[in-house]
Amino acid sequence: MEEEWTPKITLFCCNWCSYAGSDDAGVGRKQQPPSTRTIRVMCSGRTDPGFVLTALMEGSDAVLFTGCHIGDCHYISGNYKAKKRFEMLKEILDEIGLEDERLQLQWISASEGSEFAEYIRKVTEEIKAIGPSPLRQEWMK
Amino acid sequence: MNIGDRIVAWSKDEEIKKEGASGGLVTSLLTAALKGELVDEVIALQKVSEFEGVPIRTSNVDEVIKCSGSLHAAPINLTKFAVRFFEAHPDGTLALPAKPCDARGIIEQAKRKKINLEKTYLIGLNCGGTMPPITTMKMLEKMYEINPDDVIEEEIERGKLIFKTEKEEKAISIDELEEAGYGRRENCRYCETNIPVMTDVACGNWGAGKNETFVEIFTEKGLKLMNNAIELGLIETAPATEKGIKIREKTNSVMEKVAKKWHKKIFVPIEDRLERFHYYMDVMEDCIDCEACKYVCPVCACDESKCIDFYDPMDSHKISIYHLVRLLHISDSCIGCGQCTDVCPAEIPLTILHRRMADRIQAKYDYIPGMDMKIPPSFEVE
Repeated sequence: MEEEWTPKITLFCCNWCSYAGSDDAGVGRKQQPPSTRTIRVMCSGRTDPGFVLTALMEGSDAVLFTGCHIGDCHYISGNYKAKKRFEMLKEILDEIGLEDERLQLQWISASEGSEFAEYIRKVTEEIKAIGPSPLRQEWMK
Repeated sequence: MNIGDRIVAWSKDEEIKKEGASGGLVTSLLTAALKGELVDEVIALQKVSEFEGVPIRTSNVDEVIKCSGSLHAAPINLTKFAVRFFEAHPDGTLALPAKPCDARGIIEQAKRKKINLEKTYLIGLNCGGTMPPITTMKMLEKMYEINPDDVIEEEIERGKLIFKTEKEEKAISIDELEEAGYGRRENCRYCETNIPVMTDVACGNWGAGKNETFVEIFTEKGLKLMNNAIELGLIETAPATEKGIKIREKTNSVMEKVAKKWHKKIFVPIEDRLERFHYYMDVMEDCIDCEACKYVCPVCACDESKCIDFYDPMDSHKISIYHLVRLLHISDSCIGCGQCTDVCPAEIPLTILHRRMADRIQAKYDYIPGMDMKIPPSFEVE
């Protein structure tokens, strides 16, 4: 029996909001597909472009940045840095020919469990629609 | 003399005048800066042959004089040599001749606190392009039919490349050479910065007579440099003619137009996403992870490099993370100097890849690197 393909999504969660948000989604028993591999970082500003590129090179179909809403950063300006990095990364991934959906940024606070689950559902559907990452296919050869 | 003045100048020293190009002004300015104790050291390009030059850092006037003469076929960027100088002497002063890409590299390094621009005298050189040495030798044999070893002088004048031997002098237009695949380096063809307006003084033979150099003074430092040389009696000056100024402006605008044409020709956008993906995979596949492109890059200013933190040569990815991080990291400051393509042992067209990325980022953030100190690097978060 052929199993249905599920994407592998690397999810960077900020310790102070989105990680608690994903916890909230679990506690509230919000249904979400098991497609994400969560990595907890102390701040979304800790997400180095190198992490994102490594994740994509090693076979992630998509990478998600999540963090506190602008203005709510525990370290004052970490998410501004994340936003700038995200913008630059978006450009380079587009330049080397990866789809727009493979890198996404979403601000999720600690209390937004249902939003979190909904967001994961939405992204998983999007990635399923565009298929496995060409980088991963390249890697499997 | 004032800031903004346009003059013609030449060396008083007969020997320098004979050896140096266009009246030997740059050599005289460098020697004057050393003699007048304006600077501690000077960086200059020592001639090995017509196709090879070695950068030297010296405080010896005689060695500087030996460096006179133009070398169009020795494409070296002096930025990293200036960085090494300030690493060794944080309070030192330095003077160096700088073509636009040297000057832009130095300004980008100064923004990243690697060079003290207030203590660096930049003698700008107008630049119509440099040539790759090996290709030039082949070109001499094929197009000019002269032995490369016989060449004693080369010059670019009115869109023509002139080579002189003891017996003869041959000129072929640059357009014709470039059609045949020779001529200037690829990145020079589409470079739009010909007059180094970011330096202290810009020197060049556009708009000047024979054995004269056209000089435009941009800064206080440039004024000091000129006055010092005049006081020491090493150079002579005269105001520039109206005609000369017009010729210079016209040459510049013609060069800019040609560069824009080349830019369009070289950077054909690849619309299809998957095609773009395979293009990058195919060219980057040859990389042998030697990191030479990082060492020569004039705008790379990391102490501990991010680009080598995440990759392992054993990864065997078709496109290495090293290049991806570098593409990203250099995208705001890439000046398109072409050093990475020059040194690449696997002959990857790195400059084109970097410029493809940099054009996007620099247009997005409306940032042109290396033009002035006013705008901080676009990576900075406000």
